[in-house]
Amino acid sequence: MSETVSISLTINGAEHALTLSPERTLLDVLREDVRATGTRRGCDEGSCGACTVLVEGLPVLSCLSLAVTLPGRAITTIEGVRNGPELHPVQQALVRHGAVQCGFCMSGIVLAAKVLLEQNPSPSVDEVRQALGSNVCRCSGYTRVVEAIASVGGRP
Amino acid sequence: MRYAEPESVEAALLALNAHEDARCLAGGASLVAMMNAGRIAPGMLVSLHRIPELFTITEASDGIWLGAMCTHRTVAADTRLGGAMEVVRGAARQLAHPAIRNMATLGGSIGLADPRTELPVALVAASALAEVAGAHGRRAVPVESLFVDSHRTSLQRGEFVTRVFLPRGATGAVGHHLRFSRVAADYPTVSVSLVLDMEGDTCQQVRVVVGSCAPVPLHLDAADQRLIGTRLEAEDVAEAGGLLAQAAAPIDDVRGSAEYRRMLIPRLLGRALSQARERAHV
Repeated sequence: MSETVSISLTINGAEHALTLSPERTLLDVLREDVRATGTRRGCDEGSCGACTVLVEGLPVLSCLSLAVTLPGRAITTIEGVRNGPELHPVQQALVRHGAVQCGFCMSGIVLAAKVLLEQNPSPSVDEVRQALGSNVCRCSGYTRVVEAIASVGGRP
Repeated sequence: MRYAEPESVEAALLALNAHEDARCLAGGASLVAMMNAGRIAPGMLVSLHRIPELFTITEASDGIWLGAMCTHRTVAADTRLGGAMEVVRGAARQLAHPAIRNMATLGGSIGLADPRTELPVALVAASALAEVAGAHGRRAVPVESLFVDSHRTSLQRGEFVTRVFLPRGATGAVGHHLRFSRVAADYPTVSVSLVLDMEGDTCQQVRVVVGSCAPVPLHLDAADQRLIGTRLEAEDVAEAGGLLAQAAAPIDDVRGSAEYRRMLIPRLLGRALSQARERAHV
């Protein structure tokens, strides 16, 4: 029998009181307890980036993060990137460029791109590719995804 | 599984020794992946993320101490890591991708001892020391001596790395890390870490370490000696590279065959040396 730990997680600005087994990942807790299913489970081993969320504004892989280690840290998921009714500029650009196919990888890509643009408002195509090194997409071939993200910063 | 979040190194040691099957949790990037895959099922996790001293960076006259819980992102951003120490900063800046660099730690990379990764390679090139805490107190040992085999260190049960010392090295020495990979976020096919000290056009001192080509970071005194005192002409580099290629025990994998890796070693050594020399001149 695993012991349980009672914690409070701050997800998209809201507090969630949870009682968890320590081996449960943030990904598990987001999807199964908080029901924030925009964060995707791909590989469960840190290879695909589909589960990317932000902790204190930086991308991390939620499948490799144990939830019990995260009380008091600001967690942002794809559900938290909208600005009111408006999609995030990265999301708008992806729509405009027709870059999204099945969409499974997009939660992670949007969050990784959001952080890139915060740190480097006008990234080159190459810098976008570097920042998306963590994120696998099996539909797009990446070209339109990378172009869309670069376009947010004014690069063609 | 049991779980503890000690707030001091001493409390962490007690927790580690209280349970036969306890593991330290650092960034989680590898440990949690192994747990998810069912490859390990620790009876207890001792998280190190509430121990302030493990996050501390201390400057000394002869070098810099980096806390074992410093992430690669923190190391990559620390501009004090210049000169010889730059080799570690360069590796931390390039390895994997932003999400992993935000999670994975210095101490975790040492404990994992994964021959595919490059931070251990850079630490050995930097002549880094690791401070190891255990039941009998703390000791400082060369990081090189910790790596004994693929995914195996000389750390004893109940011990963990608390901090790492990077010596400044000789005035004018330059550290450089070069990775060769299929795409940026992948493990390197081969990596070369080195610290180089030139006197005019002559190599005064050099320490070359090759990654992804042996169960542990490959450091060969004979290769360093072949370069020291030379002007690093093509022939010197080729012969030193040949010695390293001969001593290497690379594997065949999706990133390249063992033969291909052996072929890369002298070429990447030459490239890394010229890049380091360019940096020494700026």
